[in-house]
Amino acid sequence: MLNKLISIGDAAKLLGVSIDTLRRWDSAGRIHSVRSGPLGHRYFLQSDVEQYFQDVDSIARHWVEAPQAVEPTPDMYCKTRDVFQARLEQFQSQLSRVTPLTTASLVTAAAGEIGNNSFDHNLGNWPDITGILFSYDMKNKKVVLADRGQGILATLKRVRPGLTSADEALKVAFTETISGRYPEARGNGLKFVRSIIVDNPITLYFQTGDAYLYLKEHDIDINVRHAKASIRGCFVTIGFKDLL
Amino acid sequence: MIIQLKKFGTTLVSRPSGKEAWLAFQPTLNQISGDEEIVVDFAHVAVLTPSWADEFLTPLKERFNNRVKLHNIDNSSVVATLAILGKK
Repeated sequence: MLNKLISIGDAAKLLGVSIDTLRRWDSAGRIHSVRSGPLGHRYFLQSDVEQYFQDVDSIARHWVEAPQAVEPTPDMYCKTRDVFQARLEQFQSQLSRVTPLTTASLVTAAAGEIGNNSFDHNLGNWPDITGILFSYDMKNKKVVLADRGQGILATLKRVRPGLTSADEALKVAFTETISGRYPEARGNGLKFVRSIIVDNPITLYFQTGDAYLYLKEHDIDINVRHAKASIRGCFVTIGFKDLL
Repeated sequence: MIIQLKKFGTTLVSRPSGKEAWLAFQPTLNQISGDEEIVVDFAHVAVLTPSWADEFLTPLKERFNNRVKLHNIDNSSVVATLAILGKK
């Protein structure tokens, strides 16, 4: 029975988070509770909990936010760049079946640049889990990438020691040609991603640390905002609903 | 000389693979005569990113300058990549 109500304790166990975390998710609207009983205790629909696991960006967010490092499930885990390359090609092939090649190549290029950035900037320095989570949902037309790496602030601070917050670092990464791997000639990746998004009906959510930005077609400015929960590394979703 | 990029793969996205392509192609590039034109053919390339291109096309242009000609650059990711590299 998927519409069965389950207690907050059981829901937390199923989701692998603490009861306090689940209360925060409820308050933030990430998962909805039902109040029941004389004391108004929170209950959750089992179907919502199941759905949470089927939602690729929720899975990725949960993974990247979790204090305890665990490897993602094998279908989403790209421990090395070779695995990512193979899955990216598979994604591009699937997308090409439902959309023109030129369209598929833009989304794949953006995902490829972001995923490879994670490997470029964390090689030999992964804090816990090596590699990235990469998944996509052809039904809801989105791609998800996440890493538990050092994050953009730590990477760019090496070449721009004056940077003090994830907000500043995220803005710099999307607007300036600067590389955390100086003196190598690098630093175009996220500017490239931005150029693709603003010229096409594609959306981008990009979070690093406690800063995030949301970009869509025709956007001119980069508006960095504060996220409710801080993450390790980076968490990205690319939406391509309007491309199809 | 014509360099058919599809022979390096059709999803050209990472820096290490771009660098490897550049290194592996050195013996071939060393055979190019003084005034020969170098045509880079993008036909059948499905995905290109600046990371790959920066490791292959940028040094190629630096070495051969105006002798490098780009053909079949109509793929959207190729267009976007060349635009970004041109802004550097």
